[in-house]
Amino acid sequence: MPLNDNEAGSGLRLDKLSLGYGNRMIVEGLDLVIPPQTFTVLLGRNGSGKSTVLRACAGLLKPKAGAVLLDGKPLSRFRARESARRIAILPQGPAAPEGLTVSDLVRQGRYPHRSLFSRWSRADEDAVREALELTGMADLREQPLENLSGGQRQRAWIAMSLAQQTEILLLDEPTTFLDLAHQAEVMSLITTLVKSRNKTVVAVLHDVNQAARHADHIVMFKAGKLVQQGPPNIIMTREHVRRVFDIDPEIVHDAKTNAKFILS
Amino acid sequence: MTSHRLILSAAIMSVPALLLASLALGDQTVSRADLESLVDGSATGQIRMIVLDLRLPRALMALTAGMALGIAGAIAQAVMRNPLAEPGILGINAGAALAGGLVIVSFKGAGAALLPVAGFAGATVMAAAVFALSWRNGTSSLRIVLIGIALGSLAGAGSSFLIAFADVADVQRLMIWLSGSVYAASWETLRLLAAWLVVPVVLACLAVRQLDLMRFGDDVAASLGQRVNLGRAFLILLCTAISGATVAACGLIGFIGLIAPHVARRMVGAGHARLIPASALVGGLLLMAADLIGRTVIAPAQLPAGIVTALIGAPFLGYLLWGRRHAAQ
Amino acid sequence: MTGRHADPLRALGLAILFCVCILVAALAIGAGTSRLSLVTVCEAIFAFDGSRDHLVVTMLRLPRVLAGAMAGAALAVAGAVMQAATGNPLASPGLLGINAGGAFAVVAAMALQMTGSMGDGNGLIWYAFGGAAIAGFAVHALGSLGPGGPTSLKLVLAGAVVGTFLTSLTAATLIVDQATLEAVRLWTVGSLSGRTMGQVVAVAPYIATGLAAALVLRRQFTTLSLGPNISGALGQSALLWRTISVVIVVLLAGSAVALAGPVGFVGLVMPHIARLTVGADYRWIVPYSAIGGALLLVTADMIGRGLFANQDFPVGVTMALIGAPFFLWLARYRLRSS
Repeated sequence: MPLNDNEAGSGLRLDKLSLGYGNRMIVEGLDLVIPPQTFTVLLGRNGSGKSTVLRACAGLLKPKAGAVLLDGKPLSRFRARESARRIAILPQGPAAPEGLTVSDLVRQGRYPHRSLFSRWSRADEDAVREALELTGMADLREQPLENLSGGQRQRAWIAMSLAQQTEILLLDEPTTFLDLAHQAEVMSLITTLVKSRNKTVVAVLHDVNQAARHADHIVMFKAGKLVQQGPPNIIMTREHVRRVFDIDPEIVHDAKTNAKFILS
Repeated sequence: MTSHRLILSAAIMSVPALLLASLALGDQTVSRADLESLVDGSATGQIRMIVLDLRLPRALMALTAGMALGIAGAIAQAVMRNPLAEPGILGINAGAALAGGLVIVSFKGAGAALLPVAGFAGATVMAAAVFALSWRNGTSSLRIVLIGIALGSLAGAGSSFLIAFADVADVQRLMIWLSGSVYAASWETLRLLAAWLVVPVVLACLAVRQLDLMRFGDDVAASLGQRVNLGRAFLILLCTAISGATVAACGLIGFIGLIAPHVARRMVGAGHARLIPASALVGGLLLMAADLIGRTVIAPAQLPAGIVTALIGAPFLGYLLWGRRHAAQ
Repeated sequence: MTGRHADPLRALGLAILFCVCILVAALAIGAGTSRLSLVTVCEAIFAFDGSRDHLVVTMLRLPRVLAGAMAGAALAVAGAVMQAATGNPLASPGLLGINAGGAFAVVAAMALQMTGSMGDGNGLIWYAFGGAAIAGFAVHALGSLGPGGPTSLKLVLAGAVVGTFLTSLTAATLIVDQATLEAVRLWTVGSLSGRTMGQVVAVAPYIATGLAAALVLRRQFTTLSLGPNISGALGQSALLWRTISVVIVVLLAGSAVALAGPVGFVGLVMPHIARLTVGADYRWIVPYSAIGGALLLVTADMIGRGLFANQDFPVGVTMALIGAPFFLWLARYRLRSS
């Protein structure tokens, strides 16, 4: 489904983007528009470039060629704090220093909003409280991170990113080490953020079925190239999955939820 | 929390206590009456000399240098993201030592006035070199540490050269200075040190939020809007300025920068807004105590404070880290 | 040189290296305040006739060069074994405090009059072993604390902490005990001057044992270097081989320290050069390190003596001047930072 050009002008857009590490090119000449206020999932095999693209969207990786555009302006031209107020990224497996409590962690999310001499304001307090409530971590706010389960810890990190109060949230494999119940929580949180808070969420997910079930927009990568993009029920075809993942799947349609399941 | 408050109060009150002890104890004990006589103006010339010219500047120097080292240590541990880091690991001290050694050996006694400048210059050159050489599309903790060790070894080789071949009297002076001592403290050096330290310490206090963020990985810090490489450069520069000034004034005193932040963390937690002042407090106390011990334990001979800190420091650190051995990942 | 068909090439390389080493050693014996020709050197060793020149060779130069060769070989192989056992490219006796431990033990023993002068090699060496072993354990324990186990960064920092501690202790001992300072001033920074044949002979059996063990067992080290998970899966007992590695390292590093003091960088640099030249197979790394290390230290000593026109110039300083830039290059370009 082609995107409205007006919508494409604002928000996140990748323009002939080329990314690489050292001499190794991962992605070349990528054009992609991230549809605003939707949940977009980047899918692909290991090494297909999806995480690399996500990091570039956050400005963590400088493009070798082309640009990541935010509202038409290249990301590199934004000051670090400015872009941190518009885009938040939660990298994979983040490490926290020892002894930090949930509350300490979430408060860090206010960094881009606080200048050198500003004191902890009402707005800061509200943002933190809201983030904790959204993620269901309000009761655990004084707990040290070490004492929490994997799912709770992940939600604490998400709360930190939420406290940043950005319009765009990037998540790199947010559910990879969580059990099913926690995965479902995170997915439902993301859906709430998009539907009720009008955020734009882009996530790299490993689980194709999760993506099919929850995403509004899927982008499939193979070997650094964009193979297909579109809503799940249109592009989750046997042909596409075979081409991108090199497996021969069975696609099962669940009438009740109107979702497709991929069995390999 | 209240037990922590108690410890903190005890620590703050120890400062004047230690100060008084430093004035009173030594190879010649100054009694309470003598100290009082200083206040009401009836002290003898000798008491005045011992306390006001020798011990007071020395104790204050220990306090100031210790505070500086505590702060530098907290910064180093945040930047390196590692509890075993201390300013010396950046090779800064070795550079300052080499520069100071060259001055001692070339100018003999007359070089005393140049020492602070030389030490500071050596430290800065070294820090700049470490940073420049470890820059490769940004920096990383491991690379900085390794290059710090490499350059530190080169500087150390230079110092060894001096030790091996210079005149024995110079070598003795050099070794004592290298061991780290507030032995030759005077009001002049104290003023110089304090002057050097004002700006960097104030900047360090302003940078507490940067330090807090620095503890997270590069990705998380960058995602929150910190300019990671610039931040690291700035903080290393601060650490160098503070540490270099201290080496210039007192020679190599290790372990304070290593231990003070740990103890401080136990007292006030890991937020740098509290950690920086607490590290300063603990560092000052540690060095004052070390100097006092060095002066009194094998009297009339003196053990340089830097050696006392090393002797007490390493086992103390082992004990602290032993308590962390079950830290979760 | 890679691949199995390169083996004859490697063997040839080793033989050439060995010949070069002998040649350089002979040159080193000839170098000094009075330049002696190779012919004279050979005559002095094989057809000794009591002349002054021949005495200089056998009493001064030969022991010095032999000590250098032995210490160099020992340190290089110790480094290679450490790198295999810890899986860490930075493991080396200097960096991880082992040298400092040995040095402190020797100085303490001397200060406490537990042994005689430096000439009494036999008693001293057991203190060096003890110090090296204790320091090694301390560094490993300290570097393993906290999450993630013994990573490079933690080990290096732990090594720095323990090393500094021991060096300070050494300095403290020397400040308090002036007599010992006079006796060991040069040795504390790593020096080969004044080595006697008696010292060399006293230390030789230990170094020979360590080197022989490492050579015989070198296949095992390749397996060990694959890491505990894989080597365990291949049936190698990690505990047994770690222990054996520790014994060999202590034997070699302790002996080297007893002989030449704490010389840094040989144990770090030589195995890396070997690895760059002949690949990651310890069947070749061990012998190449041994001969390369001997060559390196003897050359460093010769250069130091010649360049600075001083027969007492400590080889430790020269090694630092050579080794540190190489280490710099390693740190900047070859090590992946995590």
